[in-house]
Amino acid sequence: MALEHVAQGQTRFFTPGVAPDPRGILLGRSCLMTFPTLEGAVSWLRLYSSEASLDELMAGLSITKARTALGSREIVIIVPAVSSYASDRAARLARLVGGAIYTGTAKHFVKYRDDRSPYGYDAVDIGAMPQNADFMVHGDEFAQAYAREGDLPFARLLFRLSIRKLPGGERLGPDDRGELYLAVAHGLADGIIRYLWRNRVEAQAGLFDPQSPSAFDDHARDRGYMLIRARNLPERILHLFLGTPGIDVFRPAGASCAVAVGYEHPIDLASCQSVFPPDTFHVFWPGDRVDALPGPLALSDIADLTRVDLHLDRPREAAPHGGGAAEPIGVELRLAAAMGPPRRVVATLIPLEHGTRLKRILFALPPVSLRGHRVAVTDRGILVIGSENLDVIPLGQLLCELTPGLLVPLGMDVVPRVSPEVLARALGHGAGLVTVFTPDDRPFQIAEGSFATLERRALAKLEPERAGVEDYSVVASEDAQVINDAVGRFALWGFPDAPDRKLLPSGDK
Amino acid sequence: MARIHVRQFLDTFVRPLVAGGELHVSAPIPTEDVDRWEHELGEATPELVAVDEARTAVLSTIVVRPPALVLDRDELALAAGLHDALFLVHPRAERWSVSERQRRKIIDTALGLVSQPLTTNRTRVMARHALLHRVFHLTRHDTTVSWWTGRARFHGQKPSRRLTAWRGLRRVREEVNVVDFDELLAVPDTAPIIATLLRRTPLTQLLDSHPGAPPLHWEDAVFVLRDHELARAVAYRLVPDAPPREVVVGPARLAAAFEQMLERAPDEADVRAVAAFLVHLAALFCLGELTMREPMAKSPLLSTVLAAEAAAQRPRGLATLFALPGALALVDPRIAVPPGIELGAKGPPRPGTMSALAARWTVQRMQSAELLGDAMIEALAARLRRHLHVPVRDPGEVGVRPTA
Repeated sequence: MALEHVAQGQTRFFTPGVAPDPRGILLGRSCLMTFPTLEGAVSWLRLYSSEASLDELMAGLSITKARTALGSREIVIIVPAVSSYASDRAARLARLVGGAIYTGTAKHFVKYRDDRSPYGYDAVDIGAMPQNADFMVHGDEFAQAYAREGDLPFARLLFRLSIRKLPGGERLGPDDRGELYLAVAHGLADGIIRYLWRNRVEAQAGLFDPQSPSAFDDHARDRGYMLIRARNLPERILHLFLGTPGIDVFRPAGASCAVAVGYEHPIDLASCQSVFPPDTFHVFWPGDRVDALPGPLALSDIADLTRVDLHLDRPREAAPHGGGAAEPIGVELRLAAAMGPPRRVVATLIPLEHGTRLKRILFALPPVSLRGHRVAVTDRGILVIGSENLDVIPLGQLLCELTPGLLVPLGMDVVPRVSPEVLARALGHGAGLVTVFTPDDRPFQIAEGSFATLERRALAKLEPERAGVEDYSVVASEDAQVINDAVGRFALWGFPDAPDRKLLPSGDK
Repeated sequence: MARIHVRQFLDTFVRPLVAGGELHVSAPIPTEDVDRWEHELGEATPELVAVDEARTAVLSTIVVRPPALVLDRDELALAAGLHDALFLVHPRAERWSVSERQRRKIIDTALGLVSQPLTTNRTRVMARHALLHRVFHLTRHDTTVSWWTGRARFHGQKPSRRLTAWRGLRRVREEVNVVDFDELLAVPDTAPIIATLLRRTPLTQLLDSHPGAPPLHWEDAVFVLRDHELARAVAYRLVPDAPPREVVVGPARLAAAFEQMLERAPDEADVRAVAAFLVHLAALFCLGELTMREPMAKSPLLSTVLAAEAAAQRPRGLATLFALPGALALVDPRIAVPPGIELGAKGPPRPGTMSALAARWTVQRMQSAELLGDAMIEALAARLRRHLHVPVRDPGEVGVRPTA
């Protein structure tokens, strides 16, 4: 037995019922997969359902127990070959779980493409089929005929599989808690409804008795319960319900079934919704119990189910009250140190006396560094608003944004802490305005139209300060200089005579 | 003909030349008038103050503190020379009664007026730029009036009301055509005057230009680069925050002038100064790309302007501009990288160095080499080697720095 590699563009094949698809891959109407055990087939279904929808295969899906001429048994899954992409996925998963895949239409199935032959295989020697054989597969080295022993409907297989406990499956995230079903025993129903209503959980409820296939099952009614659909159930309430006897929590898996929280069906039920009849809602309980409830579920809002106290004997008269506009409550706004994480700095308020420094920085920076910056010169200071990189201007009081256009000093917050929308309304802040809170609690507003692009032209008229020169030095003393003035004749009267001193002393002394 | 007072010239020509407005061109101005005006300036204080204030406003976007300016004789002569050049394209100068000899006389007078001494004085350079900063942007509105039986063209003059009357009946149509530097100051008669004039104001040539204008002589303008504030103003004017093709126009013009400079015999220090300045412009391109999400992504600027398919539309000098850092790295690596960028440094960046800028610099240099080719960089390096001589220095030699 030999298989030939299909060539690109090949259109004629020996294998009956196959043709090239638009990609040139040999494909029959069906794909046939053989598995040595039922577990292999279930594993394939499980893998496929987690990756793609089984519903698109359901029209032609069949699970068959087949027997070879030598008496060995295999499980055969036949799925419609909707496209070579779907067949590629089926082939990959079949090989992953130890199965083999073939393609064909009626009786002869040839090996599906693999890495060695990307366009598939063609069986060149199609012989006559043995008697009692229903279909035949052609592999690399063999051709194997199979006889059908019996079919295993997918729906039956689905309900025979037990749901499995998931480790940590009871911890649900906010998305998973978006919609949950609670099966509540009759005696607890009133209390649970009141509890949910008090906790402002949006929920609908209805009473259900599981459908019983037997007319002699008298206890079916006893197994009835109230089914509550709760939306956005808080986590604490979920934990409470999971630990309370008489309350079981289920997660929806598609539109027609739900599985107990903490458990998972081996096959993704959401991918095979067409198996479930449209007029039923299946509830998969732990312990292999499956309840089929009449569907679609008819539920009523629990707000209308809370207990009503009626005292007909004491009718109440409506007491008229005078009305009027609510008195405004005035609260002084002020700045306080912010408690939260620091916000992004979007602006800076530079005192006017630092304007010349700003001008010097502005003239030293390239235009690309100032991209997106705007400036408005006011009598309260020079307000620079930047899109990013405001750190190029290390001047002034840094401001961050509470809400678009509402600026507060960095590290400060407005108290009382009201929502930015309320604050903006109270301040008369709106589109086209920039409101700035300053540390001295004197907020001011500037129209957006007052801002100009921050460039040299914007501050060109700003006069740089000129420092006055102060002289604190000590006046240097002049050098002492001898000047000989002209001296005329003069007398020396009154000057004492000088003593007569000889150079040598006399000899008598 | 009555003599024009300097007040009138300042008010009708010089002030609009500086601040914008209607620039009145009348009869040509002889040199004697300019000599006389120098003495009349004392009687024209209000007009003079208006001109100087306008010039200060022009300089206020270039330097933080514009110097005090007073219009003097040489600036008056430059303005008068420009006036005479504009008279050459006046319709009156085109009449048959103006002989070629008379035109020659006016041209010679204008050339004599604009041939003022070259200057490297900072204040004088700025004063001349403030006076002539609009020279590339002068325009004239030419109106063509056509009616049912004829047409007439008015160059920078208002059509007679007689010609535009009864518009509907006479089917009068007016078409206004704006002519600019090309037709005013780049015509054969005016071009030599403007070339001489522009050499007197190198700051104007660095900051601005026109495709029809004479090219820059770097030797006349290199001293501007040695003044930090003016050099910065030039660099930032040349690299605006604009689309890629507009960003490279100014730098490419200066790089083209640098190419021409290399063909002459410039001073080595001047070549170094201009090369370092062009490298600084390349660093500004990198600075404009610091906000890119992928720090090592290819430069969109270089991809746009150096794309092979747009090679024919490249402005002159563009290839030199982007090849220069690579060529300098082969000749004198000290000026191949702008200060503050430390390439190939291991470990944390030193304070004052910019690692992000260094990364963009590396990316742009690699991309430039890829787009321009090693042959081009090698050729430029060979031309630079003729001018740049790197002395081999003994490591044991102790250098003495000048103290003054």
